[in-house]
Amino acid sequence: MEEIRADGRNPNQLRPFSCTRNPLDRAHGSARWAQGDTIVLAAVYGPKPGTRKGENPEKASIEVVWKPMTGQIGKQEKEYEMTLKRTLQSICLLTVHPNTTTSVILQVVGNDGSLLPCAINACCAALVFAGIPLKHLAVAIGCGVLEDGEVILDTSKAEEQQLKSFAHLVFPNSRKSASSKAANQKEEDSEQGLITSITHGVMSEDDYFNCIERGLAASSRISDFMRTTLQKQAPGDA
Amino acid sequence: MLTRLTVDAQVPGDAVLDLTEMTNQTIKLGAGLRQDCDTIQVTGAGRLRLSKPNKYWLESSQKRYVPSVEDTVLGVVVDTKPDNFLVDIKGPNLAFLPVLAFEGGTRRNIPKFEIGTLIYARVVKANSIMNPELSCVDATGKAAEFGQLKDGYMFDTSTGLSRMLLSSPTCPVLEALGKKLSFEIAVGLNGRVWVNAPSPKSIGETVLMWMLWHY
Repeated sequence: MEEIRADGRNPNQLRPFSCTRNPLDRAHGSARWAQGDTIVLAAVYGPKPGTRKGENPEKASIEVVWKPMTGQIGKQEKEYEMTLKRTLQSICLLTVHPNTTTSVILQVVGNDGSLLPCAINACCAALVFAGIPLKHLAVAIGCGVLEDGEVILDTSKAEEQQLKSFAHLVFPNSRKSASSKAANQKEEDSEQGLITSITHGVMSEDDYFNCIERGLAASSRISDFMRTTLQKQAPGDA
Repeated sequence: MLTRLTVDAQVPGDAVLDLTEMTNQTIKLGAGLRQDCDTIQVTGAGRLRLSKPNKYWLESSQKRYVPSVEDTVLGVVVDTKPDNFLVDIKGPNLAFLPVLAFEGGTRRNIPKFEIGTLIYARVVKANSIMNPELSCVDATGKAAEFGQLKDGYMFDTSTGLSRMLLSSPTCPVLEALGKKLSFEIAVGLNGRVWVNAPSPKSIGETVLMWMLWHY
């Protein structure tokens, strides 16, 4: 018997997405990414000259600040900052502007589950709007594992609290290839790999690989959505 | 001659050219493209442009500017050093404007620019590692229109909009404005525009009309 989720979605159904381009006037690039009621606002400033002490001057450095919706900044926020910094470092081309700092500031506007994936998607969009050179996009999805091993996508807060385990996965986006060897497309997709994986709770290996498979399939949908959002130009731009 | 490729607008990570299919050709890569083994990949979101015979680049519009040689930009002086003025051109690094890079410039007649002075200059050296270098003389050594811009009003735009204002044939907005008002305008490819008119009211009118059109 198939379990229906609390908000009536199928296991594979994602909440409605939206991405606003440059809602902040002062920031060099910004994005407001919403997945259902989970909303994150990301602002990017940079590249600015100079790096912090201890950072490698031959590469650009990325600085992340996470601002929670309520309460003071604590260990959870520091952990999110570190995860985001590592993820962004792997998608940005750090050698293009050596000895510069790019600051990314995240403000949580609403939290209804899958907060980290929403934040990563928002950051990625904001980096593209700011013109920071990237190797590829990062597409993030949250997957939960039910009692019977079934995987549900884009978990809400209530679901996350009830599940015994869930994972946040970040994949590179599905890319267009210029070559005429389209037959290899399917193999290429599954070999693209994983950028980041954060798991909570206990799950078996099979469940984990199941999550990855489902997550990868869903990531191509999010990837297409990102593609259409990034291609829309603001009026007045050539 | 510019031709617009029929490929859709690009997103980071897209491979736009497969080098194994193009043999014995030299390709010049401009902004926003990089080579990854056998393919040329895109590093930002924008449109791929081709200038025959072999130059490709990615055209995109941002608030910040990436300096490239022979661009004309509007900079603001932020500091003065014995040999250079430090100028902000909205890029990742501050630009240097040598004190002698003016027409008839010698050690005796170095211009006195205060902090906050607006300068119209061209980019002479630009690479990602060093600070870009500007000059207020053109290639032949004449001042042309370069130098300090006095009075008037300066505002920021995106790089895409400034490119459109500088496109040829003349941008329709500028033509239409020119028929109604008389004004002087300088557009920097780094996303800065300066406008001047005989009376402050005209400057206000110019900026207002332009903003109404743009937004």
